[in-house]
Amino acid sequence: VLDDPDLKDIDPTVLKHCHAAAAMCILEAGKHKADVSAISTCLEDCKLDKERIEQFCTEYQVFKPELVTVVSFSIGRSPLHITDVSWRLEYQIKNNQLHKTYQPSYLVTLNVENSGSGSHPDVSFSCTMEQLQDLVGKLKDAAKSLERATQM
Amino acid sequence: VSLLRQLASKKHFAFFKGKLNIGVDIIQHGVEGLVYLLTESSKLMISEVDFQDSIHVLGFSDELNKSLLQLYLDNRKEIRSILGELAPKLPSYHSLEWRLDVQLASRSLRQQIKPAVTMKLHLKQDEDQTAQVLQTDPATLLHLIQQLEQALGEMKMNHCRRIVRNMK
Repeated sequence: VLDDPDLKDIDPTVLKHCHAAAAMCILEAGKHKADVSAISTCLEDCKLDKERIEQFCTEYQVFKPELVTVVSFSIGRSPLHITDVSWRLEYQIKNNQLHKTYQPSYLVTLNVENSGSGSHPDVSFSCTMEQLQDLVGKLKDAAKSLERATQM
Repeated sequence: VSLLRQLASKKHFAFFKGKLNIGVDIIQHGVEGLVYLLTESSKLMISEVDFQDSIHVLGFSDELNKSLLQLYLDNRKEIRSILGELAPKLPSYHSLEWRLDVQLASRSLRQQIKPAVTMKLHLKQDEDQTAQVLQTDPATLLHLIQQLEQALGEMKMNHCRRIVRNMK
């Protein structure tokens, strides 16, 4: 906003205030999922003229779904969110302490995202086939009860 | 390892010195040699025949050779499991707890219905247990299940079966 050539004649402080106010207004509208009538009523109370209100509302309608998504997912705290999983199956033959080990094992990495403070190291762990079966079993239980909950 | 060190402690030597009437140094060397013989044999998992051939060069009596072989066979499994603990390891899976949540509102958005699965992943490394709280959405959960089921399926594939068979 500060670099826009059309706005270079306006005092930067005023520009900042305007930008902040507009942002606040939009976020509040998004927070309450306000519809156009509610917003125009509110803006009328602020003594904004009809033309400007209409312009604002049209733009709002266009961006409302995106706004709600942003507000719903990107802002706010939550535990580390799993986005993906990678796995590797290996068969150990020997190590420097023990030869002829002949043991298969899985290495699972959960790709994790932290909404806000950037990335977080992924969670990695090793497991045997039985342990992986246990993990998958538990995840399937969770999915099943999710399905049941949606059918209620 | 600590067990082996215990065996090698001077205290025991002094005890045996009294019983067998030989120098402490000799006993220590004897024990160390025995320990080395057993750990190396267990590490390499050598067969009975190979073991017998190896100790034959030492020129002991047949009776001694037989007892050494028996000692090897009796303790091999335990020594191998102790050695197994020394290998480099990543934290390993211990268990998973899960719970279904529905987020109804937050500071930045009111009136939501956002389902989420919250999980507590218990991992174990050596003796410490850690618990990590993680969250995921239903779509990612199904994706995770699909991917991990594929992983499990791999062991049953011909390729893996062939390798496991041929590497024994």
